[in-house]
Amino acid sequence: MAEDLVLDTAIRDWVLIPLSVVMVLIGVLRYFVSKLMRSSQLPDAKALKEGQVIIRARNLKSGANFIPSKSFRARRVYFTNEENGLLHVPKEQAQNAQAQMFSDPNMAMDMMKKNLSMLIPQSLTFAWVNFFFSGFVAAKIPFPLTQRFRAMLQNGIDLSSVDVSYVSSRSWYFLNLFGLRGFFSLILGEENAMDDTQRMMQMGGFGFDASRSLAAEKDSLDIIQHDWALPKIEHRAEQVLRKLLR
Amino acid sequence: MAVRDDPRSSEKKQSDDLQTFNAENLQSNMRSIYYSRTFLSIVGGVVAGIFGFTGLIGFVFYFVVMALASLGFAAKAKFSHCAYFDSWSRIVVDGFLGGLLSFVLFWTFAYDLVHIF
Repeated sequence: MAEDLVLDTAIRDWVLIPLSVVMVLIGVLRYFVSKLMRSSQLPDAKALKEGQVIIRARNLKSGANFIPSKSFRARRVYFTNEENGLLHVPKEQAQNAQAQMFSDPNMAMDMMKKNLSMLIPQSLTFAWVNFFFSGFVAAKIPFPLTQRFRAMLQNGIDLSSVDVSYVSSRSWYFLNLFGLRGFFSLILGEENAMDDTQRMMQMGGFGFDASRSLAAEKDSLDIIQHDWALPKIEHRAEQVLRKLLR
Repeated sequence: MAVRDDPRSSEKKQSDDLQTFNAENLQSNMRSIYYSRTFLSIVGGVVAGIFGFTGLIGFVFYFVVMALASLGFAAKAKFSHCAYFDSWSRIVVDGFLGGLLSFVLFWTFAYDLVHIF
């Protein structure tokens, strides 16, 4: 290293440690606030029923090979027949469900609350860091990096002569933001672990359509090749029972 | 070594050389592996920082710790992965790089606290 910067210990005491502690505490606070704001809406009876039917169909699918083919076929007909099978959805009803989903304000509200509880603390901390700690070197990462990383790690310092491994406080904030995720999953349980990614997923599934997944489940049940895995189980059971009796 | 795999929550059902898994138990095993790895990466980061590893040695240290963790998981599963997981990669590969960011953060933090200031 060409020139070693000497960092003031006051930076450690008043920037590095407080910043990290605040990040952790804000993460914890966010977790509890989002837990409080999670509204427990009453589930719709019809949607619940459809969900249960889907789960039952999936169970049948995964356990298909453990029942005799006759029983499997009977169950499959029960789920998929075209007149009154559980998974069969009439056409016009399907359209209705979708329209209803989009007009439901509760859902959008919930989504917005979740997003806000994520966005507000983040922007607040970012503003706080920017206001108090902008423009000086706060830490040094223990490995060398190429010049490309300058923009990422020395956000807020415009000096090209400083070694790239020195980190500005704003970038230390970003490092914390990403690196603490694992730590949160340890102290807050798994609910928080995949929070952000899961929220993205939920957003993707906004237009979740029960009738469509019913139809998909129906198709996958229809194409199952049944192959009974336990053809000799009765003999075996008989042997075992006889052995027990003896 | 903090291998907190829970053998109680795993089960093995055997029926005519057909292996089946209880999905929930499999998931719980994977979760405990994930927790162990996260925990290890954080502790490893702090240790690396206190020892003052710099540059490549630190990353090598991380990979050594993770490899040891894999070995530990395998030992905990009594080297018969099929009792608890559906493939070897669950023990050896999964989450190998997931803890890297946490490791780097805690490495930097401890290194700065101890050596820089």
